[in-house]
Parts: sequence; structure tokens; C-alpha cells
Amino acid sequence: MSDTVDHSGAPSDDLLAAEYALGVLAGAERAAAEQRIARELGFATLVAAWEERLSPWASSIAEAAPPADLWDRIVAALPAAGTPAPQGGGWWQSLAFWRGLSLATGALAAACIGVLVYRGAVPEAPPLMASIDGGGQRQFVATVDLSRGSIAVAPAAFAADATRVPELWLIPADGRPRPLGLLRPDGGIVIAIPQALRPFATGDAVLAVSLEPAGGSPTGQPTGPVIATGKLTNL
Amino acid sequence: MDLDANRRLIATALARIPAGDRAALQTVYRLTAAKLFGVVLRILGERGEAEDVVQDVYLTVWRKAGDFDSERGSPMTWLIAIARNRAIDRLRATRTSRHMDPIDSADSIADPADAADRVLEKNEDNARLYGCLDGLALHERKALRGAFFDGNTYDDLAVRMSVPLGTMKSWVRRALIKLKSCLET
Repeated sequence: MSDTVDHSGAPSDDLLAAEYALGVLAGAERAAAEQRIARELGFATLVAAWEERLSPWASSIAEAAPPADLWDRIVAALPAAGTPAPQGGGWWQSLAFWRGLSLATGALAAACIGVLVYRGAVPEAPPLMASIDGGGQRQFVATVDLSRGSIAVAPAAFAADATRVPELWLIPADGRPRPLGLLRPDGGIVIAIPQALRPFATGDAVLAVSLEPAGGSPTGQPTGPVIATGKLTNL
Repeated sequence: MDLDANRRLIATALARIPAGDRAALQTVYRLTAAKLFGVVLRILGERGEAEDVVQDVYLTVWRKAGDFDSERGSPMTWLIAIARNRAIDRLRATRTSRHMDPIDSADSIADPADAADRVLEKNEDNARLYGCLDGLALHERKALRGAFFDGNTYDDLAVRMSVPLGTMKSWVRRALIKLKSCLET
């Protein structure tokens, strides 16, 4: 048992992962395990392995027909149509991961390729990228995949603001900002570029990030400070 | 149903969700809702509450489908984990005190649910898990079952099986270590 409980009496990571997957943790212990799953690939992998080990038990649970209107309730609760499904926070989106990646490579292009490789996308059109800088630092890294009409944005030096959220804007040659969506301060996100804006996502356009109230700018134009900008260029 | 084909269908639909494809979410729902509702209902025991949680589960799937990696695991395991965790969150948040039937750790009469599980034994992975569970002491197996199927915490299990909390933690941890070691051989 010496390798399962350390000198402080805390269980090993693998045992903690097993306890979490089993569902036996509560309160602060459970919350702490969830934090680690979101931030540490290694720990998340241990948990996934235990979920897989216990999956025959899960399979044995009898199915039960949900009420007929449950799907309608789910659809009603989805964000408005046309809003892309926002990407939640797995390990690959963790700030530590992205910061580590950009520090390790020191190369913007490599970070962008990392985004593309993760997405499993081999773009047909050459991707556009931007280093969105402000305050003397690279705040976000963005890659536009024209073949999919999407933009992947990962935070670099950006530090979350306690009360405001970062919002991404596309500013084409006419100088008028178009909202692309909210960014995540703590992880990468892939945003579908609205069809009408795709012609503007060219090598001349500028990306900007402003700080907006929760939920984003209420006016459709930046209302808070623009903290970083970057020009789209061909990779 | 061809399980591999089903798995591919679910994985393919999950992959389309991050682009905002509602039809893909509906496909996932059709293929998995009865299972996930069953899993959540098993833990919560109350239909209305289970419906709320399952709704929340699919909204989570909508947001997090991009996190699923078909190289790393089965889509059903991923979905069931979300459902179980949401149900457990609800259980922890709403049941400050609840009635729980005692578990008799010495009762050697086979749990009827235990027997029902074994319908699945024809599958090799299932047979391995059940074979390894059989190698555990009865009280260990009952503790693991209470945690997995009833959403019990260490405290709950200690009360239900009338042992000190420290003893319960040792039982469960030792059982998990034995289980892993058995599954790996």
C-alpha cells in the first residue's frame, strides 16, 4: 500500500481518480478532483481509464424512456440558432497547456499548427493567423480556417478580468468592428464565423479584443476598452 | 444493435456538434437518451429530478462535445460519465439528509441486481470486471456497488454499513487497488 497513500495520508493520483470515477467523493475533495480534471491531462486520463474500467457496471443499468417532450425542452434551452456551440474547457484548452505550448515553441506558427492539428482539420485554404497583442504582450493567438469558416483562438498572456469578459471583433477595411463572439479567458475556443462576415476574414482585416460586461457587448459595438489587436496574415 | 456501428454513429454525431449542428445533438439524444435517463434515474430515484438533470446533461454535451476524443475512449462511456457526475452533483446538492437502507456487509445472499448485471457477461470486458469483482470480499463489493449505483459518499457508506469512516475508506481503496490489479493481469 506504500505507493497508494503518501506520507500525509493522501491517496495517490490513480486512487483519487478511481474514487472520483466511482463517485464516492463529496464536497471539497470532489471539487478539487474536478479542478484537476479540467487542468491536468494526466489526471483526466487516469479518471477516463477508471470510467472505462467501470463501464460494464454502467452498461448494466436498465434504460428508462424519458418523457416525449424532453427533447423539446433541451432545444428550447439551447443558445439561439446560429450561435455556434461554444467549446467547453477540457485539458487541451487549459491556460497552462497553451502557455506551456507557446513558451515551449516560442513560435506563433507552431502554436497555430497545434490548434489545427488538435482540431483534426487539414485546411484546404491556407490558414490566416494573427497574434493579438496589447500592453507589449501577445494576449491571444488566432487562426482562421477558411475552409471551415471558423476561427480558433487561444489565450497567451491574457489574464482574466474579474468582472468583464473578452470579446473578439473582426475589423475589415471599412474600420467598423463586427462581433465574432466571446473568448474564454482560461482556454481555447473555436468560433464559427457568421456566413456574412466570411468575405471580410482576409489578410487585410484586423482582430481586436475588448473587455465587455458578462454576456458580451449589449450594443453590437465594443463598449469596453480594446485591450489587444492583431492583423490577419497568411501562415 | 451492432455495438460498433452504434459507437461510430454516436462518435460521428458528437464530432459535428462543435460546429453548432443541432441535428447532430438530436442524433446523439436519440441514440443515448434512454440509457442516460436510466443512469440518472438509478442515482436520483425521482423522475422529475432526473428529467432536469438529463436536460442539463445534453446542454453540457452541446457545450463540451469538442472535448470528446474518440481515440481516447468510447463515446458512451464519456456520455455516461457526464450523466453520472451531473446526477451525483444534484444528489450532493439536494440531499443533506436522506433515508438510506442499511447494507448488511455479512449478507451473503446474492444481490438481485448483481445477477441482472451478469446478463452482459458474454462481452469479454464485462466478464473481466465481474470476474475481478468476484475476487473481492463481499463487504468490499457491496461498498463499491453502493458508491457506484446509489451515489453514496464515504460517509453514506460508513453509515449504511455501520463502520467507522476510516474503515470504510480503507475498504474502498483496498478494493479499488485489488480491482485494478486483477483487471491488469
